[in-house]
Amino acid sequence: MHHLRTSFGLLSSSQKQDFLTELINACDHSMLTMIHCLVGPKLKVDYFRRLPLELSLHILSFIDDPYTLFQCSRVSFVWRSILMDESLWKRLCLTYQYDQKPSSLPPAQFYSPDLSSLLPPSYQSHFRRCYQIDRAWVLGKAHLTTCPNDIGNALVTSLQMDEEFIVVGCDNNHIEVFDATSGAHLRTLRGHSGGVWALQFIKTKSQCLLVSGGCDRDARVWDLRSGKLLHVLQGHTSTIRCLKLKDETTAVTGSRDATLRIWDLSTGRLNRVCIGHQSSVRCLDIRGDVVVSGSYDGTARLWQISTGECLLTCLGQQSQIYAVVLDDHRIITASLDSTIKVWSIDQGGTCLATLHGHTMLVGHLQLVGETLISGGSDGCLRFWDLNRYECKNRISAHDSSVTCLQVDGHHVLSGGSDGTVKLWDLQSGQLVRSFTQSGRTVWKVECLPTKAVVVIQRRSHLDRDGPFQTAIELHDFAPSSS
Amino acid sequence: MSVRLLSSDSEDFTVAKEVAERSMLIKNMLEDVGDNDNPIPLPNVTAKILRKVIEWCEHHLGDPVTNDENERRNTEIDEWDQKFMEVDQETLFDIILAANYLDIKPLLDVGCKTVANMIKGKTAEEIRKIFNIVNDLTPEEEAQIRKENEWAEDR
Repeated sequence: MHHLRTSFGLLSSSQKQDFLTELINACDHSMLTMIHCLVGPKLKVDYFRRLPLELSLHILSFIDDPYTLFQCSRVSFVWRSILMDESLWKRLCLTYQYDQKPSSLPPAQFYSPDLSSLLPPSYQSHFRRCYQIDRAWVLGKAHLTTCPNDIGNALVTSLQMDEEFIVVGCDNNHIEVFDATSGAHLRTLRGHSGGVWALQFIKTKSQCLLVSGGCDRDARVWDLRSGKLLHVLQGHTSTIRCLKLKDETTAVTGSRDATLRIWDLSTGRLNRVCIGHQSSVRCLDIRGDVVVSGSYDGTARLWQISTGECLLTCLGQQSQIYAVVLDDHRIITASLDSTIKVWSIDQGGTCLATLHGHTMLVGHLQLVGETLISGGSDGCLRFWDLNRYECKNRISAHDSSVTCLQVDGHHVLSGGSDGTVKLWDLQSGQLVRSFTQSGRTVWKVECLPTKAVVVIQRRSHLDRDGPFQTAIELHDFAPSSS
Repeated sequence: MSVRLLSSDSEDFTVAKEVAERSMLIKNMLEDVGDNDNPIPLPNVTAKILRKVIEWCEHHLGDPVTNDENERRNTEIDEWDQKFMEVDQETLFDIILAANYLDIKPLLDVGCKTVANMIKGKTAEEIRKIFNIVNDLTPEEEAQIRKENEWAEDR
């Protein structure tokens, strides 16, 4: 055998080929099968073992599917070490648009959990966390908590949530405060002598301020953590219909008395009264030192908050304005006349475009970069491209009115008076899934990157003929491990 | 105008200049040395692989250059390239190395995409079979990896 091998080694390349051809021709079927099994694996290449790291990573750069990457990391020791490369995970974070500041990165997960806090932050663990949250949203793998409440069949008018609190305003004069992690009822804020129609809270260095307003014409300033009433803001002569906070010291209220009032929250004093609208002020939006107001008189007005001066008036909407949003250059209004109008701030309130499509009142607007999302009483959601003023998606979202609409990140949540809540994808406009068990009507929805709150009216599952109850559901998508 | 290329096993190739210039390495070399008749030595590329590379460059001579990272990454391999890449793994390996050495980015992309497509959607065991890899992870390491990656199981 040794002799044969030596001789074979001395042959020229073409002689070797002839020799092997002869040998193979002399083999029977089972021999050939054996040769096939011997040769097959030898023709294979462990690319990641043999290529330079940069080229292995280049191959992996064409794979975005985490499942495949996970399988790759299990192949062998070499593959595993390549799959640990941070540049790969950094690119994936970019691809999946998992934005971040490096400082907010969680520590890398390593063999010893005790060491993990000492290690530098890792894109891999950041990607893992974000992807888990993403999948939980899509698949509905939420930790669901129901906040106990006795709102009953009262109307829920307003909702705000952050990482600490869920605050719900009702037409039964009460404000209910819940813990945004456990869902526990923390307290009921009593004091309004009429229905609460609008509220907003804001964190300061030392406390958490809540401002609320409604039918009793007074706005109230509360310390949310203690429940203590700090100020009563008196001045409006009719229902407060909307309010927004500029910062921790300034609030703007809009009222059925056709005025806006600007308040100093530290002293509880009235700073300015903005007069100009001919009818009820229905909606507000704030950006920097300007506030835009939408009114039942069919106009929107832009005001300087510091001076109370009216900067411009948008004239042209045929009927009552129900929603308004604002960015640095544009005001966008939505109206009972079923249209949406885009106004230029730089050109003194010139109407840039009228967006037609809805067939009934448009009551909800959300602006995300150059995408506008509108919800109407026709049950439709529309996604608009504001560069071209074109409708990108027309969605028959609900059987009747859209009652609430909220966007966070790439999640769009809508609720309808048909009692359903639906989750949509911001990019594609496609339905991701039905969000929760349906009810009679959906009052409000609100979402954050890792959680969502749904306030919905439905019958108790224990008693199908029983009275309607208000359910406050907290859907938490954060991975439980971290 | 043509250019002479010399493979590592001393085979002499004459190709059109614009074909050779698909390689940024050769293009830069030509700019440096100017017009002369000497063959350019390519000590890292065998005649067998160089022939394949030249075939690819000739076919893709008129291709527009894309600078759009997303387009580059997400474009599917076209039919001609798929056929072109129907080679044994060793040849594919050599083409990738040659494309990298010669600095022909679109060819490098096609080669790497071809390998990526062999991997996509496969289990670890399937990947080992495809590339004849021996699993050298200890059971403890395997358990650790699985634990770290439970999150990726949701598809």
